[in-house]
Amino acid sequence: MAESPVDVLLKGSSGQSTRGLLKVIILVTIAAAAVSSRLFSVIRFESIIHEFDPWFNFRATKYLVQNGFYDFWDWFDDRTWHPLGRVTGGTLYPGLMVTSGVIYHILRFLTIPVDIRNICVLLAPGFSGLTALAMYLLTNEMSSSPSAGLLAAAFMGITPGYISRSVAGSYDNEAIAIFLLVFTFFLWIKAVKIGSIMWGALTALFYGYMVSAWGGYVFITNLIPLHIFVLLCMGRYSSRLYISYTTWYALGTLASMQIPFVGFLPIRNSDHMSALGVFGLLQLVAFADFVRGFIPGKQFQRLLTASIILTAGLAFVGLVVLTMSGVIAPWSGRFYSLWDTGYAKIHIPIIASVSEHQPTAWPSFFFDLNFLIWLFPAGVYMCFRDLKDEHVFVIIYSVLASYFAGVMVRLMLTLTPIVCVAAALVLSYILDTYLKISSGPVTRGRSNEDASEGLRSARTPEVGITSYFSKAATTSSIIVYLLLFVAHCTWVTSNAYSSPSVVLASRMPDGSQFIIDDYREAYYWLRQNTPANAKIMSWWDYGYQIGGMADRPTLVDNNTWNNTHIATVGKAMSSREEVSYPILRQHDVDYVLVVFGGLLGYSGDDINKFLWMVRIAEGIWPDEVKERDFFTARGEYRVDDQATPTMRNSLMYKMSYHNYNKLFPTGQATDRVRGTKLPAESPQLSTLEEAFTSENWIIRIYKVKDLDNFGRDHSNAVAFDKGNKRKKATKKKGARLLRSE
Amino acid sequence: MRWCPSLMLFGFLAAVNALSSSGNRLLVVLEDSAEKGLYSTLWGDLEARGYNLIFESPKNEQLSLFELGDRAYDHVLLLPPKSKGFGPSLSPKNLVDFIDSDGNVLLALSGKSTTPSAVSSLLLEFDLHLPSDRSSVAVDHFNYDTLSASEKHDVLVLERPGKLRPDTKDFFGGEGVLAIPSASPHTLGDTSLLAPILRAPATAYSFNPKEDAGSVEDVFATGSQLALVSALQARNSARFTLLGSVESLQDKWFSASVQAPGGKQVETANREFAKQLTAWTFKETGVLKVGKIEHHLVKDDLTVEDLNPTIYRVKNETVFTIEVSEYAYDKYIPFEVPANDALQLEFTMLSPFHRLNLTPTKQTENSTVFSTQFTVPDQHGIFSFRVNYKRPFLTNIEEKHEVTVRHYAHNEYPRSWKISGGWVWIAGLWSVIAGFLAFVVVWLYSAPTSAADRRKKTQ
Repeated sequence: MAESPVDVLLKGSSGQSTRGLLKVIILVTIAAAAVSSRLFSVIRFESIIHEFDPWFNFRATKYLVQNGFYDFWDWFDDRTWHPLGRVTGGTLYPGLMVTSGVIYHILRFLTIPVDIRNICVLLAPGFSGLTALAMYLLTNEMSSSPSAGLLAAAFMGITPGYISRSVAGSYDNEAIAIFLLVFTFFLWIKAVKIGSIMWGALTALFYGYMVSAWGGYVFITNLIPLHIFVLLCMGRYSSRLYISYTTWYALGTLASMQIPFVGFLPIRNSDHMSALGVFGLLQLVAFADFVRGFIPGKQFQRLLTASIILTAGLAFVGLVVLTMSGVIAPWSGRFYSLWDTGYAKIHIPIIASVSEHQPTAWPSFFFDLNFLIWLFPAGVYMCFRDLKDEHVFVIIYSVLASYFAGVMVRLMLTLTPIVCVAAALVLSYILDTYLKISSGPVTRGRSNEDASEGLRSARTPEVGITSYFSKAATTSSIIVYLLLFVAHCTWVTSNAYSSPSVVLASRMPDGSQFIIDDYREAYYWLRQNTPANAKIMSWWDYGYQIGGMADRPTLVDNNTWNNTHIATVGKAMSSREEVSYPILRQHDVDYVLVVFGGLLGYSGDDINKFLWMVRIAEGIWPDEVKERDFFTARGEYRVDDQATPTMRNSLMYKMSYHNYNKLFPTGQATDRVRGTKLPAESPQLSTLEEAFTSENWIIRIYKVKDLDNFGRDHSNAVAFDKGNKRKKATKKKGARLLRSE
Repeated sequence: MRWCPSLMLFGFLAAVNALSSSGNRLLVVLEDSAEKGLYSTLWGDLEARGYNLIFESPKNEQLSLFELGDRAYDHVLLLPPKSKGFGPSLSPKNLVDFIDSDGNVLLALSGKSTTPSAVSSLLLEFDLHLPSDRSSVAVDHFNYDTLSASEKHDVLVLERPGKLRPDTKDFFGGEGVLAIPSASPHTLGDTSLLAPILRAPATAYSFNPKEDAGSVEDVFATGSQLALVSALQARNSARFTLLGSVESLQDKWFSASVQAPGGKQVETANREFAKQLTAWTFKETGVLKVGKIEHHLVKDDLTVEDLNPTIYRVKNETVFTIEVSEYAYDKYIPFEVPANDALQLEFTMLSPFHRLNLTPTKQTENSTVFSTQFTVPDQHGIFSFRVNYKRPFLTNIEEKHEVTVRHYAHNEYPRSWKISGGWVWIAGLWSVIAGFLAFVVVWLYSAPTSAADRRKKTQ
C-alpha cells in the first residue's frame, strides 16, 4: 500500500498525536455546540432568569455576593414565609450559588466586571459544555472504541432531555448537578476499575460537591451501593471494590454532612441506609474473604457464609426496629410517590400539584431523546456482552433510571446521561463495524480449541461485513438518523424549552410576534407602588418571582416546607370573604395577587389551579373547606351561571372575575380558558379593592382594606358608600339585646 | 399679594396656640340665625378657649366640609335641623368622610322636633339607634324638675356621670346636677367604639308626646339602656358625640335652678358639663400621644446604633420603652394609667408570645416613660412589638413595630470543648487519631526486611 500523506498523519506515533488533537478539537466543538444551542432564549428574548425556582437561586446568589459567605450561611430570610421566615442558609443546597459566586469573584479578580445576572443566566450553558466532556470520559471507560465517547459527548451536548433544564437563564440546581452526577460516576468507575484510594477520594470529593448542589444526590447515594451489592451477589468481590467503596463512603458521608441542610440525614434517614448497609456488608464480606484464605475447610466456609447472612439479616431487623421506633426517619413522601404513583395524590396533594411530579407521558420519551431511546435497549444489551464491573453499573443505572423517569417527568433528567452512554456504545459499534472501507483483519469468532472437531468452515469463520452495499446502506441510514436527531434537537430546543415563562410569546393573526409581558409589568408595579414591607399573598407558585422581581415579602413560595402555611393561603383563597378577611388580617397581608387567564386564554391560571388550593386546604381543615362543594351536583367544575354557591362566593373566584364583564357588552362575558359564558353580574368584593390589573388581565392585584373606621361590616360600609340606605335594624323576635359596660 | 404668606403664617401660629390638640376651626351649623342668641354663653366659652367659630346655615350652598380635598374645618357642631336634613353639603356621606379624615363632630338633637331621617340613618351607621318615631322624649316621673316641668316630667335632673368603668378615666364628673330638658333618647349598639357619657336614670323611659297620651305600648327602651349623651370614637380616634338635648346648652339652662322631687333647689352644672363635653369632643381632653419608642438589647453602654435594631436573635434579653403623654386642655401632661388598668406590650407573631405590663419608669415634664424587659422567645420569625391600648374616652394607641427574630448563627453556639457532655466523644476522637498514628509508626518501623536484603544476609 502506497503511503499517502494522510496515512503519515494517521499512523504511527504522529498518528496518535493527530488523533489526540482531533479529539480535543471535536470535544471543544461539541462543547461549543452545547453552549450555543442553549442560547435561543437569550437571543429571542433577553438575558433573563427563567421560570420560578431560578428566581430564588438568583436572589440567593445576589445575597451571597453582597454579604459574603458566612452571612449567606447564617441567612435568616424575613421576606418569605411571612411571618414565619425561613432559615434559608440552612435549608438550601448552596452549591449553585457558591459556584456562581466564586466565578463572579474570579472574574472580578481578573478585572472583568460581569454582572452577576449574566453569570447566573449563562451558568447552565457553560456547565453543559463540561457535562459533554464528563460524558466523553465516562463513556470512554465503557468501551474500547474511541468513537463511543465522542458520540456520547455529542448526544449529551444537544439532547433535549438535558437541554430542558439547562437553557440559558434556567438557573436551577440541575444546571450544575448533571455535570457533577456524570463526573462523579466517571470517577467512581475509574475507582472501581483501578481500586485506588485516590480515585475513591476524588469520587467522594465530587460527591460532596454534588450533595451541596442538588437533592438528587440521593440517586448517587443509592446507586453506588447498589452497584457494589450486585457485584457482591455476582461473586465479584475484590479488594478493588473494598478500597474504592469504603474510601468513597467514609469520605463522601463526612463531606455530605458538612452541608447544613443535609446535616445528620446520612445516618438518620432511610434514604441513606442502603449505603450504610452495604458498607457493613462489605466489611463482613472482606472479613470472610480474609479468613477464607487461612481456613480451607469447606464446611467452615459454609458456616461463614451462613453467619454473614445471619448478621446481615440481624442488621436489617435492627434497621426496621430503629425505623419503627423513630430513631431513623422514615421514607419521605416524595420517595413513596416514586413507588406508588397514586400515593401523593391521596396523601400529599402539595407534591402531586406540581406538574413535573406527574408520571411521564410516553411521547415525551421520544420528544426528549429522539432516536436514542430506541438505541438504548441495544446499548444495554451491548453491556451484557462483555459484562465487566463498569458494565454492571450501566445496566443497574439504566434499569433504575428508566423506572424513575416513567414515574416522574422531572426524572427524565437522570435517565438522559445513561441513554446517551448506551446509545453511543451501540452507534460506535455499528460505525466501527460498517465504516471500515477495507475488510481489514478478520475478527475471529470462537477460538478453535474447543471446536476442533467441527466443520472446517466453522473452524476459522470469517466474521465481518464485506459487502460495500450493506456498508454504504447502513452507514448512510445511520447518518440520516444522526442528522434527523440534530434537526429534532434544534427544533425542540427552540420551540419547547427556550421560553422564559416569565415572558410569553404568541403569534398575532398576521404572523408577527406578540410579547405578553404581564408578569413583569405587575411585579414592577408592586415594586414601584407599594411600601417595601407590603406583604403580598399569592398562590405559592409565584412566591419566588414576587420575591425576586417585586422584592416584596410573600406568605408562601415554591420552597414548600410548611404545608400548613400553604393550606392557610389555600383556605383564604377558597373561603367566603367573611372567613378570609380575618386570615388576611392575621397574616398582615396588604395585597393579594391572582393570575387570571380568562381574557387571553392562558391556561396556567389560578382558577385552573384552584382545585389544588382547595384540596390542600381540605387536608388541614376538612370541616371548613370541602372539594365536593366546588363541583356541581353533576360533578362538573364550572365557573358560569351554574357554578356552585361555594365557588361563586370564594375569594379566588371573586378576585378573578371582578369587573371582568365590563370588558364585554352586557351578558357577553366569556372566559376563554374554560370556554364558558360568565354570569351577567360581576362578583361583589367588599373586603378587598382592586389595585392593579395588568395589560392582558393575566395578573390582578387587590389591596386588602383596613378595618372599617366605624366598626361596621365591610359589606355594610360598601353599601353605605354606594348610597344604599341601611335597612332599619330589623325587629328581632325574642329578647331585646341589652348593652352593658 | 405679598403679605399673604405672612398672614397664612400668622394663621398657622394661631392654630398652634389654639387649645384643642387638633385645630381650632369650629363650624357651627345653625339653621336659624335668630337662635344664635340662645347659646351666647356657650359661644363665649368656646371662643374664650381659643376656638374660631364659623356660623353657617345648612342651606348655604357654598358650605363644604372639604376644600381641595382637605378638611376645611377641624370640628363641627351640628344643631338640630328644622327641615328634612342638613342638606347636600352635610349629607351622611360627607359627615362620614369628615370623620374619616380626622374631623370631630358634635351632633345635638332635640326632643321637641322630629329628627330627620337622614340624621337617623347616619346614626344607624354608627350603631346608634333612635326611636322609630324619631320624636320621642325621655321622661322620668322620679327625677324631673319640679319647677319647670311639673306636668310633663320631661326635664330630667341628673347627677353628673362618674366613671364609665372602674378602669377608665373620668372626664365628665364633678359636683352638681344636670338639667336635661326634652331630650331625644337613643340606644347604643354593641360595638366597642361606642360609649355612653350620660345615661338616663333607671326609672326613665322614652315617650312620644305627639301620640295620644296615656298608655305606652311597645316602649322603645327603658331605664339605663336609654342614653342621653353618647360618644363614638372611630378607629382613627376622630370623635363623634351625640347630645340628646340641645336645650341643655342654652343660656337659660346654664344658670337655672332646678329642684328634683323631694330635693332642694340647686343651680345646674350644665355650663361645666358643656365645657367638658365640647372639650372632650374637640380633643382637648383624653388625647394620648406616643412619643419616643425604643427597644434594644440589655446592655451597659448603649450607643445610638444599638437602638431599635431590625433584627434580634432568639433568647435575647430585650428592653422596650414607650413614652406617652396626655393632652389636658392646653398642654401635654404625663399620662397616668388609671388604677385597675395597665398599658401592655405584646410581642406577637400570629399570636402573642408575650403580653407584659409596661411599668412607668420615668416621668418627664409632659410625658411618662413606660418600659419592660423580657427574653425573646425561642422561636424565629417576624415578630412585632405591639402596644394596643384602646379605652373608652381615650384616643387609641396602636403601635406596631416589626422586628425579625433570627436563629443562632453557626458561630454562636458554644464550642465543643465547652460542653462537658461532649468530652467523652472528643477523647474518643483524639484517641483514635493518636492510636492510628502510633500504629502507622509501629508499622513502618517494624517493616520486614526486603527480599534483596534477605538474600544479601544469606550470602
